[in-house]
Amino acid sequence: MENMLDKIKQSATYLEGKLSTKPQIGLILGSGLGELADEIEDAVKIPYSDIPNFPVSTVEGHAGQLVIGTLHGKDVVAMQGRFHYYEGYTMQEVTFPVRVMKQIGVELMVVTNACGGMNKNFAPGDLMIITDQLNMTGDNPLIGANFEELGPRFPDMSSAYTTQYVDFVEQTASNLDINVQKGVYAGVTGPTYMSGAELVMLRNLGGDVVGMSTVPEVIVASHASMKVIGISCITDMAIGEDLKGITHEEVVEVANRTKPKFIKLVKEIVSTVQL
Amino acid sequence: MVNKQALDQAAGYLREKMDKAPTIGLILGSGLGVLAEEIENSVKIPYNEIPNFPVSTVEGHAGQLVVGQLEGKQVVAMQGRFHFYEGYSMDVVTFPVRVMKEIGVKQVIVTNAAGGVNESFEAGNLMIICDHINNMNANPLIGPNDEAFGVRFPDMSNAYSKELSALAKQQASNLNIELQEGVYVGNSGPCYETPAEVRMIRKMGGDAVGMSTVPEVIVARHAGLEVLGISCISNMAAGILPQPLTHDEVIETTERVKSDFLSLVKSIVEKM
Repeated sequence: MENMLDKIKQSATYLEGKLSTKPQIGLILGSGLGELADEIEDAVKIPYSDIPNFPVSTVEGHAGQLVIGTLHGKDVVAMQGRFHYYEGYTMQEVTFPVRVMKQIGVELMVVTNACGGMNKNFAPGDLMIITDQLNMTGDNPLIGANFEELGPRFPDMSSAYTTQYVDFVEQTASNLDINVQKGVYAGVTGPTYMSGAELVMLRNLGGDVVGMSTVPEVIVASHASMKVIGISCITDMAIGEDLKGITHEEVVEVANRTKPKFIKLVKEIVSTVQL
Repeated sequence: MVNKQALDQAAGYLREKMDKAPTIGLILGSGLGVLAEEIENSVKIPYNEIPNFPVSTVEGHAGQLVVGQLEGKQVVAMQGRFHFYEGYSMDVVTFPVRVMKEIGVKQVIVTNAAGGVNESFEAGNLMIICDHINNMNANPLIGPNDEAFGVRFPDMSNAYSKELSALAKQQASNLNIELQEGVYVGNSGPCYETPAEVRMIRKMGGDAVGMSTVPEVIVARHAGLEVLGISCISNMAAGILPQPLTHDEVIETTERVKSDFLSLVKSIVEKM
């Protein structure tokens, strides 16, 4: 922890040596959504294993590289594959890429994920704008000594998902005729899917969807004063009272089916967002 | 697990510094450390001089034990405490409570600055903690239990003493100080809660939310100490008012209610 600042700078310096652009938008691409990175033009692809201090992704369907280039005329850096707490990484490791993105100049983080829908008004294949989150992971990436250079000791989380961007994404989706939901993302550790009783509890506690990522990254993005847009792809319904077994394959299948509209929406967001 | 040797060293060091053993312990939260200034004939012992004590890192927490008399009672006050979010283990966070017990403390007053979750509260209110919810996903008693320090399965049904709460209410009424009462939810922090988390905490039964107190009270009860908990509602929790939360607001509010807080705690100590 004591040399975290050095590690961040070291990783950023390595990346800056590879880049001719200075991306202001960061994209974190969730399960099955990594294909968006293939649409990035003039792309420089940097495997995580080449970046000093980066952990290496282990989960199926997560390639594990940074893709840096232009998307709809905007300079972006995309994480194709992310790090999950359930893989055994510490919260600091899970969120290290966010620190590095901030260090190379990213101001807006677009965080995406695949998740289960607990709100009965949702359906598999829906996209949801994340308006807020519940940290149900039992951990926090900011526990430990605080570096004032990175952010305040007690960061405010009252609009972790930038309010004006929630409205902007809703409008953007409407312009594209894409139906979107809005709701609260409950982040759990996994890797087991939730039991029926747990899903009922999370819904009663105010969660609309449940997933195993995003929450730590958004805490760190808030700490680093970055703006955040969160979009979930609801790959399965997670209604506690009516739980059908699911597999990772089914999740990937729905994610694949939803991909075209998801990619379209994110590209339009990147193209038109005002930083 | 309690490190008996470390505890003996710390307690032994403190005994040499004190003429009389304190019976009342005070744990002073963010912005409330000023109470220690009221202690008479005081001996001040910086944490870094006490064997095996950790050192507080957070702004607004001075980091010393102040031993002396308050309203004629022998007290030991922690000016500055240790928080889980600083990266200390639960054992370290609660070590001072074990030390207090060891040097003779029978009753503790645990104070904190907390966010108001109950919408009938206002920033600046004082709240008697009637109960708590451990939402920190850790427990200082995990590990082997040494029966010399407490039972394997401590009862938490009366963690906050009803007698001391009643005394606090009586004294507040005598002093004309408005007092709330409620359940304190202990989160790890260090980020403030999101509005969705605040609504969740309310549904779970919480009236106030903070980042301390719960581990200390668990250990105090394990050690058989009587506990009185007082929160200063230093701000309304996220999403209740249309404004961001800042640590500055916490300090400003505690500054504003300082005199009420001081007279209340002093009058309680007098009657303990």
